[in-house]
Amino acid sequence: MVKSLRKLVTVGLLSLLLFVGITACSPQPPSRFDQAQQESTQKGAKAVAKKSEQGSSFNKFFPKSGNGYDRVYTQEKKGFAEAKLKKDGKDMAMMAISDTINTPSAAAKFEKSTTKIEGFPAVQQGATATALLVGDRFQVKVLSRSPDFTENDRATWLAKFDLKGLAKLK
Amino acid sequence: MSQSIFKLVDELPKDNLTVKSLQALDFVIPCEWKNLVGFENTIRTVTGETDEDMIQQIGDRAVYLFNDKSQGYQTALWLYQTIDSAGSALGTAALANKIGENVGFLSFLENITPKADKAQSIDLSLKVIVELLAFCQINGLPGDSIGDFLGALGDYGGESLMRMAALVCFDGLLPLGPDFILSVGDRLGQMQPSDLKENQAFNKISDFIPGGNPAGKLSFIGESFGSVSSWMGNFVGDRGLTPQLVAHNLSKYVEIADDKLDYVAAFLDMSTNYYEHTGIQTLAHRLIERAVAEI
Repeated sequence: MVKSLRKLVTVGLLSLLLFVGITACSPQPPSRFDQAQQESTQKGAKAVAKKSEQGSSFNKFFPKSGNGYDRVYTQEKKGFAEAKLKKDGKDMAMMAISDTINTPSAAAKFEKSTTKIEGFPAVQQGATATALLVGDRFQVKVLSRSPDFTENDRATWLAKFDLKGLAKLK
Repeated sequence: MSQSIFKLVDELPKDNLTVKSLQALDFVIPCEWKNLVGFENTIRTVTGETDEDMIQQIGDRAVYLFNDKSQGYQTALWLYQTIDSAGSALGTAALANKIGENVGFLSFLENITPKADKAQSIDLSLKVIVELLAFCQINGLPGDSIGDFLGALGDYGGESLMRMAALVCFDGLLPLGPDFILSVGDRLGQMQPSDLKENQAFNKISDFIPGGNPAGKLSFIGESFGSVSSWMGNFVGDRGLTPQLVAHNLSKYVEIADDKLDYVAAFLDMSTNYYEHTGIQTLAHRLIERAVAEI
């Protein structure tokens, strides 16, 4: 009687452990970003190329504060610089220059461009962004962060960049 | 290998003790912080985009950026996580010390655990350092001048501002009282490099602290704390913050004894991870801003 009870308890405990073990090791639900995770963690994978321009080179080409807007620099990394436009303390837009040597598909979208701003090919992207390609390499983008900052506003501020200066950067 | 950024953000708790204690600070910075969790949710909220193809591109680029160690995002995450886990050990030690003072048979604990005020002062100063270091890992040194950099730092909002509010309230006012800025400054001025060497959190992050040897690092810590002192002083003064006000608001969300502030501070240290929680949110926010601008 005691022997069979002990056997029952042992089997019960083992089953419980097995169940817990299986559920703990069960695979995570797939994510739409699994492929990017896998590719970007391969040996030698990089998000930023060695030859990329430093973000510090881009700062001088940004528009200055004006027309009631304050420009606040927010990021400067290799291949990328960003500033925010604020009005009365509120975030209105983001401005960025990036080196498409790090993101070839970003440059490729301009092949379909049908409009120009200041002579440079322009595209609308999503619901909130307008971008230009300068010198076939540097992407200049303005992104609305308030519904009050319109597509027209984005075009206005894109034109305020020193685009000719940026075009000479190589 | 580091956990994926999308998993980290997906697994951020919607509601736990950390979240409740931060919600208790809404009176300090009204409506600045909404507990944004979930990677896709963060992409949609930060960018305002709904196009699925764009969301995929943004998320993919953010994943690539995070996984490139040279870009510093994993170091920033490690800093936020490390300072919180060190805090947990500190909280346990400080609490043991507090119990040792008041309960006779546990009085021997006073001899083997750090004094609560000194330990809390180091904790506060190191959290300031971690914030500066993580900021630079994530954002670089924005702009072309010191003025531009301070402007970027001063532009804190949302989850970053909430982290600073919690730093002031939970790591400053509650454990160290209304004069914490002066007292921490004084204590840092009197500290020896050997005091730092005994500190677990310092030992974990010291490689990232500028200054060369421990004396140089202590000097950097003192200067850094000094440089944020007027910001913290204005933050407290503009809002009339006191330890009692913080504890009173906290008690609406978390069951605490609001007349035992030292215990409350040590308890929060032990059982919350607001630096890691809001740090992951800051990281996700900045990564997604960069990703949407680069695609």
